[in-house]
Amino acid sequence: MNFDGKIVLVTGSSRGIGAAIAKAFAGEGATVIVNYVQNVDAADEVVAACKEAGGDATAIQADVTSGEQIQALVDQTLMDFAKIDIVVNNAFKPYTFDPDNRKQFWDLEWQDYQDQLDGALFSTYTMCQAVLPALKKRTQGSIINMASDLVARPTIPYHDYTTAKSALIGFSRNLAMELGPLGIRVNCVAPGLVYPTDASRKTKERVKEMIVAQTPMRRIASPEDITGPVMFLASDWSRFMTGQTLYVDGGLVMK
Amino acid sequence: MALRAGYLPGINANDVEWQTLTYDRDGQAIEVSVPLLSDEQMKGLSGRIKEASRQHLKSMAVSDITATIDATIARLLDRNDTYRQQAEEYLPLITGYDAEMVRLGLTGYLKTFRQSELRRFVAEDFVNPKILDEFQPLPKGGYGRAYGPDLLAHIWAGNVPGLPLWSLISGLLVKAGNIGKVPSTEPLMASWFAHIIAEIDPKLGQCLAVVWWKGGDVDREQALLNQADLVMAYGNNDTLHQIRDRTPITTRCLTYSHKVSFGMVSKAALDTGKAWEVAHQAAYDIVRYDQQGCYSPHLFFVEQGGAVTPQEFAQYIANELDCFEEKFPRRSLTIEEASGVAAWRQSEEMKSFFAENNAVMGDANDAWSVAYSEAEEDLAPSGLNRTAKVISVKQLDDVPARIAPYKAFLQTVGIAAAPEELQRLAGMLGAVGVTRISALEHMTAPEAGWHHDGRFNLLDLVTMTEVERSAETAAEAFSDYVD
Repeated sequence: MNFDGKIVLVTGSSRGIGAAIAKAFAGEGATVIVNYVQNVDAADEVVAACKEAGGDATAIQADVTSGEQIQALVDQTLMDFAKIDIVVNNAFKPYTFDPDNRKQFWDLEWQDYQDQLDGALFSTYTMCQAVLPALKKRTQGSIINMASDLVARPTIPYHDYTTAKSALIGFSRNLAMELGPLGIRVNCVAPGLVYPTDASRKTKERVKEMIVAQTPMRRIASPEDITGPVMFLASDWSRFMTGQTLYVDGGLVMK
Repeated sequence: MALRAGYLPGINANDVEWQTLTYDRDGQAIEVSVPLLSDEQMKGLSGRIKEASRQHLKSMAVSDITATIDATIARLLDRNDTYRQQAEEYLPLITGYDAEMVRLGLTGYLKTFRQSELRRFVAEDFVNPKILDEFQPLPKGGYGRAYGPDLLAHIWAGNVPGLPLWSLISGLLVKAGNIGKVPSTEPLMASWFAHIIAEIDPKLGQCLAVVWWKGGDVDREQALLNQADLVMAYGNNDTLHQIRDRTPITTRCLTYSHKVSFGMVSKAALDTGKAWEVAHQAAYDIVRYDQQGCYSPHLFFVEQGGAVTPQEFAQYIANELDCFEEKFPRRSLTIEEASGVAAWRQSEEMKSFFAENNAVMGDANDAWSVAYSEAEEDLAPSGLNRTAKVISVKQLDDVPARIAPYKAFLQTVGIAAAPEELQRLAGMLGAVGVTRISALEHMTAPEAGWHHDGRFNLLDLVTMTEVERSAETAAEAFSDYVD
């Protein structure tokens, strides 16, 4: 796969899955915008790794729950690189996947849902609005939204998180319908439990073993496992696919 | 931050010659200073430890000692404790083991030293643990009390994190003063343990020390051997031979040499539902600390006649090892280790040319490899570092006779079999010298109070002082109430 000359914006890419995606694109020659909120050192490390991998990269700070900051992120990217080819909406509201201390439904408040909807849906909605004029102008582009296989199989019912990710898939299908005629594709990637990331660090061995035992490929995903399907959906190899969700969980969910 | 190993009560760090060990397995170099004592310093240290052990430790109740050890272990289990954090950060860099494997391994291992487990540990060897505290009536008549040595010298080996704690804790439980010599491959864990003990109970902290010298430094070794009342040594047969030869004749020397362990899988465990799970467990035993423990399996005897054949079982293990490489990547190997693996692979590949169904699974550059054989093969160690052999056998009952010639090297057998088979095999294996039988997945995690190489961990360390019945009876004659 060759992403030479492609401008790829990956939100929340200073760590975890986002960082792996950024590095993978850079490894195929892309120029990557490494978006982060707080950890400038981690973002700089990812930028350095991207350059070492053979691509180019720049770190831009922006909180994707703020419409203004997203607009500024897109404006600056367009100012520096004149275009955007691929957007990976990967950032989400910090969420700790701790099966033993999760909130049960009756412990949740609407605000918990609202926070997750803001993190997953509002941020993606706003990013898409902000980037759309640039994509429409060239009538091309690929948007990839990161969902979760919990949507299809809530092994642990993280209600607020999973509901927001479900909404994101519905959002993506509608957007795919709208943007197909304009040559812009919208797809989702739904990873299973990815370990280790900061979010999943509290997931206990017992839970991981349970998931492993039910997963045909018999292991948990690593961040690097997620990059291939993302790049596939970003590339022309998937040029006739839109509105789809690829489950990347070793076969735990089959749809 | 400069890391410092060793623990030297009563010695000013500035008076000690410090050497620097550098570890650089994956390009992340790390340095650890280790203390090199002079003959004079070793003598002084030994004297002080002996004295403190006599004055303080011998008068402590075993229950107080277990409470302090428990508090020490609690800190090493607490992920917010600075020692624990150091262990999680530095042990992977020093040993090369995957950080997650070290983290989980430490917790699993340290859990076996909590108070309830320690009490079990003592009760395992002493029917009446109070015999370590005071004279107790003996069934044969009279009274007896068990005394630990004033100075127990430990000479440790290997790089499995924390392994020295076994013998160090054993020493403390029998109220021995302890000086342990850490190996260059992992000098930190025993040192941290000693520091925490001293923080919790400064007096108990006077009763143990952690020292270092470069393996093969005969003079330093001799300095400690001369002072010890009892020596516990670990390593290969050559090293142990030398240590035993140089130990003064009046000092007992307990040696723990290299062993070979293996697994056995019955056809009862090889139906389509359970076979994968069993292979997963077997692979875990192979992966854990890259087969560096005496209890790590080198081969598996797998019985024919199940729904899953031994060959398919070997393939399951191969795939599990591949999956584990994602979860717990193998540490990068030294040149010697890599050539050990390559040599083993080569010899297994040679064998597979001459036997139709033999095979070697995994590529030469994979971090694991599984050989499969249907031939009548002898027990032989694998190439280590995630290399294992699956040997197909008609029935498991034939295995004990095949391994009998290797009695001196046998240790753990991990078994997946039905209850009656387990009983029958245990009898046969015990008779040919196997000292520990566990479930698969537990081979590398012996339970608290296990008998290492079939020996009594605590009982071997003590001497009994007996007051015979005659002394009691005779004393009666001299009492002031005699009629």
